[in-house]
Amino acid sequence: MSSNRPIFVPVILGTPRQGRYSEQVARFVLGELAKREGVETELIDIREMSFSTLDAGEAIKDSRFSETAMRADAFVIVAPEYNHGYPGLLKHALDTNLKEYIHKAVGICGVSAGPFGGTRVAENLLPVMRELGLVTIFWDGNFSSVQKAFDQVGKLVETAYERRLDKFIKELIWMAKVLRHGRENVALE
Amino acid sequence: MSRSNRRLEEAMTDTGKIKCPDCGIDMNHHAEKVDYSVEPGGVAAEFGGVLQEVHSCPGCGKTAMRIAS
Repeated sequence: MSSNRPIFVPVILGTPRQGRYSEQVARFVLGELAKREGVETELIDIREMSFSTLDAGEAIKDSRFSETAMRADAFVIVAPEYNHGYPGLLKHALDTNLKEYIHKAVGICGVSAGPFGGTRVAENLLPVMRELGLVTIFWDGNFSSVQKAFDQVGKLVETAYERRLDKFIKELIWMAKVLRHGRENVALE
Repeated sequence: MSRSNRRLEEAMTDTGKIKCPDCGIDMNHHAEKVDYSVEPGGVAAEFGGVLQEVHSCPGCGKTAMRIAS
């Protein structure tokens, strides 16, 4: 049995910083996902969550985030590269869930002002994804010199990203479908 | 035992499967995962954390965890 529910792929905007260029990337990815038939998406903005530092893990869950993650078949994480790493608040937010992620697909879009397109933040996130039970795809989104990739109203000007992201999304949706079938139908022996 | 695990035990079928609290159908046991974010009391020494079973519902996709026996 394999369900006919739409594949749900929320996009996590992984930085709360003011002036973040990652928001333009996240909205572009969101728009490209929304064009796909049989795919639903929505934006998860970690700036809109409020996490206590007085406890940890499930004790400080953001219920809306957890409900969205529970419904998800896959995730896109849009993460800027800050000093070669990922934003601390992104890690803090991700760590509040576990069962919501197990055997679900994830793709990473790295964002940087420099020429490397967030390759280091993507690499740094891989072991975190694995420990959270997520399954990574091999396509990444690499948004280099991001301040030049969009115009002042956030419209994409570097159109090569559309074709690259198409490959990324295709693999992510394939992985999401395969993993959903496995989660729901293939028993651990 | 946490409140959520107690609820899940109540929802177990004769075969040991968990019934989905929303759909009422048997969930599929597809993973086991060590959970390190727990109180030391529940830790299984051989794993260094709590071994959790992960179950998903073929009807609605909902996921549930319970401590592996």
